[in-house]
Amino acid sequence: MRFFTATVLGLLAPSLCAATNLTTPSRLDLPSGFKPPQVFKNINLVRNTNLEKSYVRETINVVVENVDKQPQNDYYIPFPAEVFDRVGGFEVRDKKAPEKGRFDVDYTEAVPSDGNQYFVVHLPEPLAPKSQITLGISYSVLSSLSPLPATIGQADKQFLTYSFSAYMPSAYTTVTQKTKLKFPSNNVPDYTPTEGLKSGSDPERKGTTYTYGPYDTAEVAPGTEHPITVRYEFTKPVITVNLLERDLEVSHWGGNLATEERYWLRNNGSELTNQFSRVQWTFTSYQKAPTSALRELTYPLLPGSVDPYFIDDIGNVSTSRYRPSVGKSAGNLELKPRYPIFGGWNYSFRIGWNNDLASFLRRAAGVDSDSYVLKVPLIEGPKMAEGIQYERVVVRVVLPEGAHNVRFELLEGTNSNGLPGAKHIYAHLNTLKTYMDTLGRTTLTLEVDSLTDEARDSKFVVTYDHSMVDALRKPLTIFAGLLTVFVAAWGIGKIDISIKKR
Amino acid sequence: MAPSSLDVVLKGSSGRNTRGLLRVIILCTIAAAAVSSRLFSVIRFESIIHEFDPWFNFRATKYLIENGFYSFWDWFDDRTWHPLGRVTGGTLYPGLMVTSGVIYHILRLLTIPVDIRNICVMLAPGFSGLTALAMYLLTSEMSDSPSAGLLAAAFMGITPGYISRSVAGSYDNEAIAIFLLVFTFYLWIKAVKNGSIMWGALTALFYGYMVSAWGGYVFITNLIPLHVFVLLCMGRYSTRVYISYTTWYALGTLGSMQIPFVGFLPIRNSDHMSALGVFGLIQLVAFAEFIRGYLPGKQFQKLLTSMVLLTFGLGFGGLVLLSISGVIAPWSGRFYSLWDTGYAKIHIPIIASVSEHQPTAWPAFFFDLNFLIWLFPAGVFMCFQKLKDEHVFVVIYSVLASYFAGVMVRLMLTLTPIVCVAAALALSCILDNFLVASTPSTETKAKATTDDKSLRSTRNPVVGIYSWFSKSVVVASVTLYLLLFVAHCTWVTSNAYSSPSVVLASKLPDGSQFIIDDYREAYYWLRQNTPDNAKIMSWWDYGYQIGGMADRPTLVDNNTWNNTHIATVGKAMSSREEVSYPILRQHDVDYVLVVFGGLLGYSGDDLNKFLWMVRIAEGIWPDEVKERDYFTARGEYRVDEEATPAMKNSLMYKMSYHNFQSLFPAGQAMDRVRNTKLPKESPQLNTLEEAFTSENWIVRLYKVKDLDNLGRDHSNAVAFDKGLKRKRATKHKGPRVLRTE
Repeated sequence: MRFFTATVLGLLAPSLCAATNLTTPSRLDLPSGFKPPQVFKNINLVRNTNLEKSYVRETINVVVENVDKQPQNDYYIPFPAEVFDRVGGFEVRDKKAPEKGRFDVDYTEAVPSDGNQYFVVHLPEPLAPKSQITLGISYSVLSSLSPLPATIGQADKQFLTYSFSAYMPSAYTTVTQKTKLKFPSNNVPDYTPTEGLKSGSDPERKGTTYTYGPYDTAEVAPGTEHPITVRYEFTKPVITVNLLERDLEVSHWGGNLATEERYWLRNNGSELTNQFSRVQWTFTSYQKAPTSALRELTYPLLPGSVDPYFIDDIGNVSTSRYRPSVGKSAGNLELKPRYPIFGGWNYSFRIGWNNDLASFLRRAAGVDSDSYVLKVPLIEGPKMAEGIQYERVVVRVVLPEGAHNVRFELLEGTNSNGLPGAKHIYAHLNTLKTYMDTLGRTTLTLEVDSLTDEARDSKFVVTYDHSMVDALRKPLTIFAGLLTVFVAAWGIGKIDISIKKR
Repeated sequence: MAPSSLDVVLKGSSGRNTRGLLRVIILCTIAAAAVSSRLFSVIRFESIIHEFDPWFNFRATKYLIENGFYSFWDWFDDRTWHPLGRVTGGTLYPGLMVTSGVIYHILRLLTIPVDIRNICVMLAPGFSGLTALAMYLLTSEMSDSPSAGLLAAAFMGITPGYISRSVAGSYDNEAIAIFLLVFTFYLWIKAVKNGSIMWGALTALFYGYMVSAWGGYVFITNLIPLHVFVLLCMGRYSTRVYISYTTWYALGTLGSMQIPFVGFLPIRNSDHMSALGVFGLIQLVAFAEFIRGYLPGKQFQKLLTSMVLLTFGLGFGGLVLLSISGVIAPWSGRFYSLWDTGYAKIHIPIIASVSEHQPTAWPAFFFDLNFLIWLFPAGVFMCFQKLKDEHVFVVIYSVLASYFAGVMVRLMLTLTPIVCVAAALALSCILDNFLVASTPSTETKAKATTDDKSLRSTRNPVVGIYSWFSKSVVVASVTLYLLLFVAHCTWVTSNAYSSPSVVLASKLPDGSQFIIDDYREAYYWLRQNTPDNAKIMSWWDYGYQIGGMADRPTLVDNNTWNNTHIATVGKAMSSREEVSYPILRQHDVDYVLVVFGGLLGYSGDDLNKFLWMVRIAEGIWPDEVKERDYFTARGEYRVDEEATPAMKNSLMYKMSYHNFQSLFPAGQAMDRVRNTKLPKESPQLNTLEEAFTSENWIVRLYKVKDLDNLGRDHSNAVAFDKGLKRKRATKHKGPRVLRTE
């Protein structure tokens, strides 16, 4: 009986220590009427706008000079408040030394006076007066492409429009600047030509690249806009994932990493003018003609992925196919939704698969170490030529029961990994009770807004402690539970309830 | 001779234990076989709810789990039978849903995260394992042979007659009801044997559970009183019968009245009157028995005769009076159709239109029961030989269930248990006699009586088989039959009863499986891309599936509680567009769903059911819809060039073939179900537009057009869009008259 009590006590003793590096994003509150101090000057600014995918990807290289008398280290980058929330994967690096990693970036509340919201880039070391630094800024803007015409016939071409300002909105005076647009094809029926901004024709067209500028804007006040609209053919689906929930479940006993992803997907392209015609679709599919409808998603899975499934609210989707990985090459999951997804149509589904845990989990150095290191992709997602934008991603890492001292870290490379900085990721810990848990499993939840499929290959590392006692908790609990049942059954069987005389 | 180690295990008290353990192992194996033979569809397809009614049960179960028991009890469903709604909580048998709800909550308590769908899918196989156990108990009460119960359990586990309603995914009331039926009968037999209040009360308890689970409880309600009545007629009145029957009737009736859908039926409906009558009768008989002890024989005779006459007169008069005044409801239509198979076709086409209400074809008995069907009479005969109280029960049950199974395909289900009991009795008798290794001893000859008058052969009745040859032949043939039975059951289950019917399977030329998933394609499209309250009109067969899979309100569904509403849908489907469109508008219909198999050769489509729509509509509007109009002058049902105008102009015809011809080269459109060439031109739809058609054209969805913006009628608007000249108004103008007002 003492053993039993001891077991129960041992089971109940909480071992979940608070984790350490979890962040809650907070926005800097600026005074109303705030203007960024004019301490910098953009000497030269080149903006590359890539429109090849269904979202806008911008990379800006800007040479910045400190024109103040003091060393400065806060560089402000403005966005209109309505665009700000759709900016994803914002990252700033030193263009000359990208391997040093991204700069720390804060973000602010909207300033009521000019309706801007700022990213505040903290330079790692203050920039001395008169000296220069080249910043490489990259980000993507989601849902900024709108189809025009808004409704098209089923077999028609689809056109998207994109509006921007020829003058890059910056908090500082810019001396020279230009914008390069990269279109998916030559078919650009409409674009705004500018007059009087520069000598010669503007924009310059070369293949699928259109260049606005260079403009000499040394005398132009910062914030001046010159609207440009381009309209180009994009006969591909505009795939938008409203919400992606991704669960990674670590099982030490099973040696298994189970992944499940739930997608709420929508095609934001042109809607159908008339209703859907199956006859026409049959002919389109037969001719393999380009279409604005989403026909199929291809999802490369990591080598060694097994037991994939593809289901939706009403059961298995029989039209999927899995080509398993051979050797080191990735497997390929071909997901065909139940119906072609035209503009304005929704489709929600879930997929999942298993991996061998050994290729993701290492025991930390030391022979008897109870510390583990898990390295997994943050998001994987289908790989499509037209790109995918994720409005919101929630990643849950379900660690074994009793895991404590949980820390996580996003891995940086020399290039952009498509992820925002750590301050833009909301991380918290909680517990999940499942499969006869007594305490519940420690769960690390990461929430990120506005991601694109550029983040496909980003990885992150979770470290946690998990001891032998934690691992034995469940078998002992089940043992104790069964023992209780048997003892109770035996005890009840002993009770004589007959009303006969003895 | 020292006892061998085997003898220690097989004889004495440890031998009893060994046999008990062996029996438990065999029963567990049988239960496992019963469960696993029902999993064909899960392995072949997926864990999915089958057919039509299970989709409603599944939806109701989800509602129960999400909203709790009390709101389930008070559930008014405004997403079916639009615009009427359905008082779902009061018009269903909640036993099934509550059972899965309880299982779900127990598993949740143990923090085992099982999806409610999987519980619903696996409920029927799980309960079929329990049915096999209950069968063992019931049969063991009938026979002294230890093998009879085990055989019956094995038969019950795998016989197709029961599997047909209990494969994985067939989440219907029958899934648990058959277990309850068998178990209630077991408890009843136990109660009659022991005359114990406890067993009687347990019978009532499970009877109450049965009432909450299936409308077929009426079978028990009538069978038990009949058993008692027959026992009384045979002069077998005893206190045992009295105690068990009164306990069961009082407690069971109270229990059954707790179900809102049943309510006061047990005292008001004719279907339940026999139980009440026998209850009264047994009181009188008990009273008579009591009086007999105090009165001399002659007076007692007089008293008895007068009392019988008086009671009969009073009872019969009262029954007639109450029936006329309407206190006791007359027999229900379904009940009449049990006695007269032609009744439904004439009076209630909606019941006749369901295939499972058709009379059973003879081969079906062999198909569903295989060799049990010819062992069955032998078993019943053996019951006549012994004829204890419980054997009387078997005999009555067999006679009644045989008749009902012949009338309605569906009631094969109630016949199956008793066939298993009887067949197991017969077979165990054969095996007990032939499967004996020792030859019968002839020592009894010495004690032979010297009665010269009787025949010598009857003088020394030695029961037993001497010849090894006959033993082995009989045993071998029985084994062969048993093996054939298993093979047959597996084959039938695999081929006939394991199709989910939501998903259709076909084979590609290379032999690989090709799944036709059109239903779910269309339902999921509806679910994802239409407003949450878009009303869908379809024939009632698909109502439950639309509610369950597409999650959209429907006009009619498989509940069929309102014949007029169904007839309205039938009328809309079978009339011209000008007639149908106002009906659609009045019922807020947004989408119309039809099932069309012409491209694929899927014969269960709406055009093949079309005549039932016409018939049901004709039942309500005989002046507007006439079945005759849909047949050609030669009485043929045609869809090609020769189709009648009523057929060609009906909404159903137009929706089925709309745009179908454009798939084929001009003039070569073929309907593969009806194997006919179609007219060159596809029919012109004015008031509806095609919204979605599934990959193989099985499900077609049409959106009901809004009123024309310019106030034209739709045929003019469509003609204008096509660039046709506007038809001149052909109304002949009369002579001009002077307007006087």
